[in-house]
Amino acid sequence: MSEELLELEEEEHTSKITAPVFWRIMSIIKPHWKWVLGFLITIGLVSGLDAYFTYLNKQIVDEGIRLADTAVLIRIAWIYGAFLLMQSAFVFIFIYLAGVLGERVQYDLRKMLFNHLQNLSLSYYAQNAVGRLIARVTSDTGRVSELVTWGIVDSVWAIMNIITSLTFMAIINWRLALIVSAIIPIMVFVAMKFQKYILVEFRHSRRANSKITGAYNENIQGVRVVKALGREDANLVEFQHLTTKMYKASYRAAWLSALFLPTVQIIAAVALGAIVWYGGVQIQVGLITIGGIQAFVSYLTFMMWPVQDLARVYAEMQHSIASAERIFKLADTQPEVHDRSDAVEAKTLLGEIEFDHVDFFYEDRKPVLTDFTLKVNPGEMIALVGPTGGGKSTIVNLLCRFYEPGKGVIRINGLDYTQYTLESIHNKIGIVLQTPHLFSGTVRENIRYGRLKATDAEVEEAAKVAGAHDFITTLEKGYEQNVGEGGNLLSVGQKQLISLARAVLARPELFIMDEATSSVDTLTEALIQKGMEALMKGRTSFVIAHRLSTIRRANRILVIEDGKIAEQGTHAELLRQRGHYYNLYTQQFRHELEVQYGVAEEGTSNEREGVTADSIMIRREAGEAVAAD
Amino acid sequence: MSDTTTQYFDFRNALTPNRLLGLWRMMTDFRFSYIAATFALAISALAKTSVYLLLRFFADDVLTQGRMLGTTMTQTFLWIGLGFILLALIEGGGAFLSGRLAAYTAEGITRRLRDFLFDHIQRLSFSYHSATPTGDLIERVTSDVDALRRFFSEQAIGVGRIILLFFINWAAILYINVKLGLLSVITIPLILWVSLWFFKRVTKAYEDYQAQEAVLSTTLQENLTGVRVVKAFARQEYEIEKFDKDNWLKYVKGKFLLLMHSLFWPLSDIVLGAQMLFGFIYAAFMAINGEVSVGDFVAYTGLLIWLIFPIRNLGRTIVQTSTGMVSYQRLMDITKQAREDLDGGSVRPTGAVRGEIEFKDVSFIYSDGTHHVIKDISFRIKPGQSIALLGSTGSGKTSLVNLLPRFHDYTGGQILLDGVELKEYPRKYLREQIGIVQQEPFLFSRSIRENILYGVGRSVTQEEIEAAAKAAAVHDVIVGFPDGYNTIVGEKGVTLSGGQKQRVTIARTILKNPRILILDDSTSAVDTETEASIRGALNDLMEQRTTFIIAHRIQSVMKADLILVLDKGQVIQKGNHEELLAQFGGMYRKIYDIQTRIDEELEVEIARAN
Repeated sequence: MSEELLELEEEEHTSKITAPVFWRIMSIIKPHWKWVLGFLITIGLVSGLDAYFTYLNKQIVDEGIRLADTAVLIRIAWIYGAFLLMQSAFVFIFIYLAGVLGERVQYDLRKMLFNHLQNLSLSYYAQNAVGRLIARVTSDTGRVSELVTWGIVDSVWAIMNIITSLTFMAIINWRLALIVSAIIPIMVFVAMKFQKYILVEFRHSRRANSKITGAYNENIQGVRVVKALGREDANLVEFQHLTTKMYKASYRAAWLSALFLPTVQIIAAVALGAIVWYGGVQIQVGLITIGGIQAFVSYLTFMMWPVQDLARVYAEMQHSIASAERIFKLADTQPEVHDRSDAVEAKTLLGEIEFDHVDFFYEDRKPVLTDFTLKVNPGEMIALVGPTGGGKSTIVNLLCRFYEPGKGVIRINGLDYTQYTLESIHNKIGIVLQTPHLFSGTVRENIRYGRLKATDAEVEEAAKVAGAHDFITTLEKGYEQNVGEGGNLLSVGQKQLISLARAVLARPELFIMDEATSSVDTLTEALIQKGMEALMKGRTSFVIAHRLSTIRRANRILVIEDGKIAEQGTHAELLRQRGHYYNLYTQQFRHELEVQYGVAEEGTSNEREGVTADSIMIRREAGEAVAAD
Repeated sequence: MSDTTTQYFDFRNALTPNRLLGLWRMMTDFRFSYIAATFALAISALAKTSVYLLLRFFADDVLTQGRMLGTTMTQTFLWIGLGFILLALIEGGGAFLSGRLAAYTAEGITRRLRDFLFDHIQRLSFSYHSATPTGDLIERVTSDVDALRRFFSEQAIGVGRIILLFFINWAAILYINVKLGLLSVITIPLILWVSLWFFKRVTKAYEDYQAQEAVLSTTLQENLTGVRVVKAFARQEYEIEKFDKDNWLKYVKGKFLLLMHSLFWPLSDIVLGAQMLFGFIYAAFMAINGEVSVGDFVAYTGLLIWLIFPIRNLGRTIVQTSTGMVSYQRLMDITKQAREDLDGGSVRPTGAVRGEIEFKDVSFIYSDGTHHVIKDISFRIKPGQSIALLGSTGSGKTSLVNLLPRFHDYTGGQILLDGVELKEYPRKYLREQIGIVQQEPFLFSRSIRENILYGVGRSVTQEEIEAAAKAAAVHDVIVGFPDGYNTIVGEKGVTLSGGQKQRVTIARTILKNPRILILDDSTSAVDTETEASIRGALNDLMEQRTTFIIAHRIQSVMKADLILVLDKGQVIQKGNHEELLAQFGGMYRKIYDIQTRIDEELEVEIARAN
């Protein structure tokens, strides 16, 4: 909720243009200068023709009707018709050029940002909420592309229209044109003021709107509490405060908008009144014709459109420039972790891995790891246990080189791992996350993510090894089943099996797993255990472990607390010490068995199952089977 | 027309199968302002038309025939000039008034619609909420409400505006010359038809384009949230290609959309331009022939533009109104759901209940099926006693206690509270008497103080709040936060652990001081240490209150006066701890044995390590 409000605030940020920003925005459309030139010329012509048609109407009256000259009339009709056709062609061209270029610029910017984001380090992601990054790539690019296309089109049309209209008016009668040119700045000024006030009210109403959505959300999610506590009436009163705020802001914005155009028009009408009065006098002395007066009426009536456009572009421009600055800032961010110029390829990760007095801290936070030293032999399985926030994830992040040590060195095969290329390290890592991350698409596509060139048979083979094959075949469409957005059509256990299969397919040399804490049904759990075992064979592996069966299997268990290794050793060694590990273990032991026997549940899972007295024994056996495996 | 009056309108009155009629009913109390808005619009359009008629008067009567207003020509010109300004004032005033009234209507209806939906949804039954995803409800109360707002503020008035402009200007032209009037609208049906045709298609193309934008957003979001996976598998190139594919497809769809627009506008320009040019030239010839005057011609050229060009947008507005209709339907789907009756009941007790509860063969079947959730349950407890429900998930424990505050109504048997049938009590009263500590504590994103006060419904001093928090063993935690009791839950990284949240809800219950207490497995989500402090707080709370305890562990239930062991909605064992323990082969004994065995197994495990 508050994050959403922050994003809203960011969007409302405005900026004045500076020369470097201006040139950089221009550089966006520079490769497409032909298109820009094309729509600039056509919009200019359209604008000029718009003004010329009014002039032609005057000619019809003055040259045709008043002189009763049908030949002139027919000639004007031809010119008129020809120009109408030409104008239609120009309209087609400028809409197409500006519109398609807008889409193109948006495409370019999004591509540039997305590609850049792929290279940025995890530290950048840790500091910037995903919602904001999405806003960068979607709405900010939209606003900038709008500015460099329609923003330019609208302002060029408006300025050209004002200039050509004034020119024709001056041709008809320069004195009257002077009156008009005196009034235009007033119109523009008033219009801009209006836009400013309207924007402020819109801002209030958007803010109120986001609060209203939040209130709905919370009240629906907490409806059971609301009912239990009989809070309905008080909630309605509170909510009505919000809707009243929203009402006031949007009502004000709406009626200010309704006042805007009439006000501009009335200013124009004052000029018109002056012209009719002064022009009438001049008609008598032959300085202006009836057609001329008619033309002035038209020019003034339609003057509100360019004025309105100018005011709007001006108001929006300030937001677009703020958007552009944010885009540029992202584009200028350098990845913290990157290849050195003399980086070499890591031949294998199956060597000795060593943390040598490593210190690490995240941005503006207290140290996470201090003086961390560890040597791991090839093929060893390390279990990391300990309280949340102790530093387990950090060790894994450093190992994957998502981050690099603040102090100290991590060596693979005796060489500082920053001397290797990132890709050659990542190519040899298989990872399974605590909350498994899948992508929209089919099961098959998700497994193939591990090795893109794998054949269908290899994908299925990997699924079999990981123990995922059986459940996949029970899905309606098997491997072609769609997993939904983020895999949300599958259960957590199923997602984990698929990500295991994905890791198997990658044939990693270093395997990293962060076990799920939420409950998975017993059968799936057994399958996951088997899959893990298959994966760890002949590989070095690090597991952030929660399950006893995993912990027991490890060659070495590290108890990580406060960024240090509190205890390390084998299961038996550590139990004997009766220290941290002993406490963690006995607590988990009790809990797991209770779950197994069906006398306790894991608090938050959606995957609870009914357990009856009869099934307790069956479960128990299944549990033992897993443990014995 | 006050800004602050908050009327509550019951939109159930607007329920009707006829959607247009329904929308009309939604406008109750606002119809006058809506009609006034249309009227103001008509005045404004008339003034605009009059500008051209004044021009005609100026050209014909004044300039050609030398008619004077006042004594001199200069004075006449001044009057006419002022006339133009006056007409502009009327036109502008009418437009402003109409816009303001339309906004008043639309925003006013929207405000009370929001209020109504909020209230209606919180009063819908438990069953409805269990069956309806939050996201779907949110979508309706935001997007669909906004679509209706636009219907009232833009589309309904927009259609009226275009039609008014058309008929008033047409009437003016017909008044000038009937033949000219008829010739001026030849292409109107064509334009209207093309406009409808085009906007229907363009709306579809736009939806297509938006759908692709959504696909692109999903790809982007999955990539950003899965950054670890992408990096760990070194799949940057693959991701770049995938994004580029979606991005390019969106570009292509955008291009198609733009192509449609870039064809429609100039092509319709040609048709309208031809109609306009034909009118101009024909009128010019009529002027030369003396059929119409110069003033007629001048007025006609102005009027014709306002006659034909707005028609082009009519198609868009008409197509958009169908969105409003669909949204009306989607909101009425919520509106037609039946509410819980909070106040209905034949007894009107004044004081607190004593808390004597008797179940007589109580059964409960969900309305959608024949499946018994609980079946033939009977027991009786005295005021102040505690009863524990033990059983696995799905055994009906939670469903049983949900009957007490009448979240669901039992379908068979009788529940007597203080000797009176439960269904005779108003729900509101029952819920005041019952305190519930739920398994998964829910806190609202407001200050901790407000969370403790939530639903207490009487004025409470800070001392009372702190006393409650102390009794719930959470006071020390709260004062440890920088903002103390004013700390907003969930903001600025202040996250409460499951156990802390649980204790805040216990403090809330202590303050509420109910006679009947329901503890729904309140210690399952917390670690051992916290469990002890919560248990202490709960034991104090249970004194003097009739208490229902839902639990999994023997330890939590052994002190209860009565223990019910449930399975598949039925009581399979009943008694106190000692009695049940003596029933060898019973479920209770089994669970007890298992828990004892766990301790033994642990010993074995440790011994093995040694």
